[in-house]
Amino acid sequence: MSLLSVNNLNIRFRTGDGYVHAVNDVSFDIAKGQKLAVVGESGSGKSQIAMSIMGLLANNAEAEGEVLYEGQNLLTLPSAKLNRIRAKDIGIIFQDPMSSLNPYMRIERQLGEVVEQHEGLSRSDARKRVLEVMEAVQIPDAKNRLTAYPHEFSGGMRQRIVIAMALICKPKLILADEPTTALDVTVQAQIMSLLDEIQRELGTAVMLITHDLGVVAGFCEDTLVLYGGRVMEAAPTLDLFDAPGHPYTRGLLRAVPNISDASASLAAIPGSPPNQTRAPVACPFAPRCVDAIPGCHQTLPELTGDRQQRACIRPVEELT
Amino acid sequence: MLNYTLRRLFTVVPTLLVLIVFSFYLMRLAPGGPFTSEKPLPPSVMANVLERYGMDEPLHVQLWTYIKNIVFHFDFGPSFSQKDRTVNDVIAQGFPVTLTYGFWSAVFVLACGIPLGIIAALRHNSFWDYSMTGLAIFSQIFPNFVLAPIMVLLFTLSWGLLPGGGWNGGQWEYIIMPAVALGTSYMAGVARLTRGSFLEVMNSPFIRTARAKGLPERTIIIRHALKPALLPTLTYMGPVFVYMITGSVFIDVFFSTGGIGQDFIDGAYSRDYSMLLGLAILYSVLTFTLNLLLDLAYAWIDPKVRSKL
Repeated sequence: MSLLSVNNLNIRFRTGDGYVHAVNDVSFDIAKGQKLAVVGESGSGKSQIAMSIMGLLANNAEAEGEVLYEGQNLLTLPSAKLNRIRAKDIGIIFQDPMSSLNPYMRIERQLGEVVEQHEGLSRSDARKRVLEVMEAVQIPDAKNRLTAYPHEFSGGMRQRIVIAMALICKPKLILADEPTTALDVTVQAQIMSLLDEIQRELGTAVMLITHDLGVVAGFCEDTLVLYGGRVMEAAPTLDLFDAPGHPYTRGLLRAVPNISDASASLAAIPGSPPNQTRAPVACPFAPRCVDAIPGCHQTLPELTGDRQQRACIRPVEELT
Repeated sequence: MLNYTLRRLFTVVPTLLVLIVFSFYLMRLAPGGPFTSEKPLPPSVMANVLERYGMDEPLHVQLWTYIKNIVFHFDFGPSFSQKDRTVNDVIAQGFPVTLTYGFWSAVFVLACGIPLGIIAALRHNSFWDYSMTGLAIFSQIFPNFVLAPIMVLLFTLSWGLLPGGGWNGGQWEYIIMPAVALGTSYMAGVARLTRGSFLEVMNSPFIRTARAKGLPERTIIIRHALKPALLPTLTYMGPVFVYMITGSVFIDVFFSTGGIGQDFIDGAYSRDYSMLLGLAILYSVLTFTLNLLLDLAYAWIDPKVRSKL
C-alpha cells in the first residue's frame, strides 16, 4: 500500500488576469521508503505539489483532487488535524535556508519547538533531541552552537539545520523542495550524500523536487517529469536515463552538458515555457517539440504504459 | 553592549556643546532682545539691566560663563522674562507635567495602535480590516489642535464627564484628554504600520516554515511573527515620542496643563535667551536618551544587530 497517493491533483491560482493553472491532473504514489524525484523547469508546478501536500498553498490557490496520506485527504483536512501530520509524519525541506529559518530565534528553540509540539517533550528533553539531530546532520561543535542564531551559520550549515528540522520527529515522508539549489556546488554534493545517508538509516520516503537531473541520477529510484503542470513521463530513474520515452525528457537529457566533449555546443530546448492562463487542451510541450505532428496540438495525451509511463501520442520508435 | 552604551554617552558631550554654541549665536542674531519694548528704556536703566544679567560683556564671554555655570553648578541661569524664577525652576515645574501625560499618551498609542493593527492584519481584506484602516486614516488626518477642541466640546461641555483643562497634581481625569488628543494621530500611524509589517511578516518564508512544523496559528503569531512585526513600530516610536514631548506646545496651551510647552512659547515671544537655550538642551538630551534606548531595544530584539555592537 502506498504511503502517499496523489490523485488527479489540480492547482490553480486566482490572479488579476484570471486563473493560472499551475498543476493539471497530476497523479502519483509514493510507497514507504520510496525515493521519488519530481523533475521540471521553473514554473512546472513541482513546488506547488509539495505545498499542497503540506497545506501551505498561497491564499489565492485552489486545489482539486485528492492527496491521500494514510487514507486521509490532506486537501480537505481541518487545520487542527493537519497540524498533527505536519512535521510529525511529513517533513519538508525548503529551498532557501537563508530565509526559511526565523532570524530572531535561537537554533535550539527553532528545532526544539517541533518535538515539544508533537511529542510533548520538556525543554531539557527537547534539547537532547536537538543535539542528537544536529549531530546526525553533522553540524560540527553542535553542543556549543545550540544558542546561536541562523545568521551565525554558513549557507550549507543552515541547510543542514533545515534538514534537521524536517527530520527531528523521524517523519515517514520528507518533501525536499530543491534542497541544494541555493548552495555552492561543493556543498550540494555534501548535502545530497547526507540526505542519502539519513534516508537509508531511517527508511524514510523522500519526494525530491529538483530541476537538476544530475542530483536525481544518484539518488532516486523513480522519476516523475513535469512540464506545464502535467506529468510527461513517470519511470524508474535508470530506465528514464537509458531510454527516455518522451521528447521533453529527451531534450532535458540532451541539455545536460557533456564534459568529455568540450567542443560540443550546449543543446537547449527551443522556445519558452507555456502560457498557463488556460488549462491545457493539448500536449503543453507540443509547441516546442521537435517531433510534434498536427495531432499533438489537438489532443491531450494520457499517461500510458506499465513500468515506464509516458504522455505522448507518438510511439517511442518514431521519436528523433 | 555596555561598551557601546558608554561610547554613545561620550558622544553626547561634544554634540551638546555644538548645539549650545549654535543656538546661542543664532538667538543673538535674531533682532530684538529680552528687554526690547515699545517704549525704549532710558539708556541708564538699560545699562543697569544689561549689567544685572551679564549682557554687557562680549558674547563669547557670556557663552563661556553660561557653559561654566552649567558644568560646575548645573545652573541654567535666571529667566529673562519670568522675574525671580530660574530656568531650573521652570523646567522642574513644567517638565514633569509634560512628561507625565506624554508617557500616558505613548502608552495609549501603543496599547491601542498595536492591537488594532494586528487585528486588521489577521482579518486581512475583511470588514474589520477596512473599518480599521478607514478609522486610522480618519484619525491620522485629525491634528491635535482640531481634536482637542472637539473633545472638550463633547466630554466637557456636552456630557460633563471630564475637566476641560488644568492639571490638579496630575489626577487621571486631567490626564486623559491631553494624552488622547496628543496621541490619536500617532496611534493611527502605529496601527497602520503594525498592520503593514504584520502582513509582510506573515507572508515571509520563515512563517511558512513555522506552519510546516504543525504549530497552531496562535503560537506562530506570538512566538514567530510578533517580534519582527513590531520592529518598524519600535523605529517609529522613538522619534514620535520626542515629537510628542516637544510638539505638545498646543496641548499645554489649550488644556492649561502648566506643562513646559507654554514656557517655550512665552520664551520665544519675549526673547528669553536662557529659557530657550535651556529647553533646547533639555529636548536634545531627551532625543539622545530615547535614541539610545531605541537602539538598545533594537539590539535586544534583533540578534544580527546585537552581534555588531
